[in-house]
Amino acid sequence: MSTETALATAKAGEIDDGKDVPNMSLLDITEGDNERGIPKAKFIDDVEAFSSTFEPPASPELLIGACSDLMNKYRNYEAQLQQRQLRLKQKVPELEKSLSLVRTLLEKQGSPDSTTGMARYSLADNIFAQAELDYENNNTVNLWLGANVMLEFTYQEALDFLSQNQERAKKEMEDAISDLAFVRDQIVTSEVTMSRVFNWDVRRKRNTKESTTSS
Amino acid sequence: MLAPDEENNSEVRREDQDNINRFARLNARLHAIRGERQSLQKDLEGLDDASTELMMMGSGADGDKVMLLAGEAFLEVSEEDATEVCEKQVEKLQDQVNSLTEEEEGIVGEQAKLKTILYGRFGKSINLEDK
Repeated sequence: MSTETALATAKAGEIDDGKDVPNMSLLDITEGDNERGIPKAKFIDDVEAFSSTFEPPASPELLIGACSDLMNKYRNYEAQLQQRQLRLKQKVPELEKSLSLVRTLLEKQGSPDSTTGMARYSLADNIFAQAELDYENNNTVNLWLGANVMLEFTYQEALDFLSQNQERAKKEMEDAISDLAFVRDQIVTSEVTMSRVFNWDVRRKRNTKESTTSS
Repeated sequence: MLAPDEENNSEVRREDQDNINRFARLNARLHAIRGERQSLQKDLEGLDDASTELMMMGSGADGDKVMLLAGEAFLEVSEEDATEVCEKQVEKLQDQVNSLTEEEEGIVGEQAKLKTILYGRFGKSINLEDK
């Protein structure tokens, strides 16, 4: 289920007992989406005017409740994005390591220094085995594609393949970062809206109390 | 809680909200930069130790058998190759650290500007400090 339908179908405060209690859906306090379907929190210019747009006028408790629901959903999404970003952050250096290995092999092939070389590779955890690498004649590397599949590539094909993967991972990370910033903005906006509604309510109650004590 | 005379009655306008949001974004980016720079500096220290070790090895039979970590395997390389790789890596990381430091300075400057605007609008009603 996409995020926007998940958020839109959640309603706050739906009671049907004959009294006309206003329902506030999350659509009332959000407007539009960003490129990946995350709703944008509505900025309320005038709290009083906004609450009167509902029939009957929305109580502060209802507004604050809706805002805090929205904020919880945003925080969930923020946590998800942070996980994704962490995962990608590990993936990019790994790809970089593989790329640099292939480049080193290519370089050694071209260099006249030595035709073979010794390498120590990881045979199992904490055990390394020695191998003699034929720099001059070898032309291929095997890349692990996941799911117990390994494919043989020439050096150039491997470079292209790994670079492509790296580009894709970097783009995904950029998307995740920009989504994260967007969600944080919406969290700040909803928090500010919540405090403004609260303050407006406090002032209103104070004014009614003053006017009743003075009359 | 603020006393009644300390209360600020200016309404939050859309541009104020945008400024607040921008300040929050810059703050998040600032923390991320500081974390990244710390980890880069740890890497640089490691490389420094490695090049010191290389220099101390001196020439002799050992001069041709430095193990260089490439990917997840070790390749035997000559001392010069290893030193060259170290130096290139140090240069790369140092450039990254420098650009991060520049970015950090830019962010702190912009945050200072936003602080003057927002404190001007809201006085004590808003808190823009880190701790």
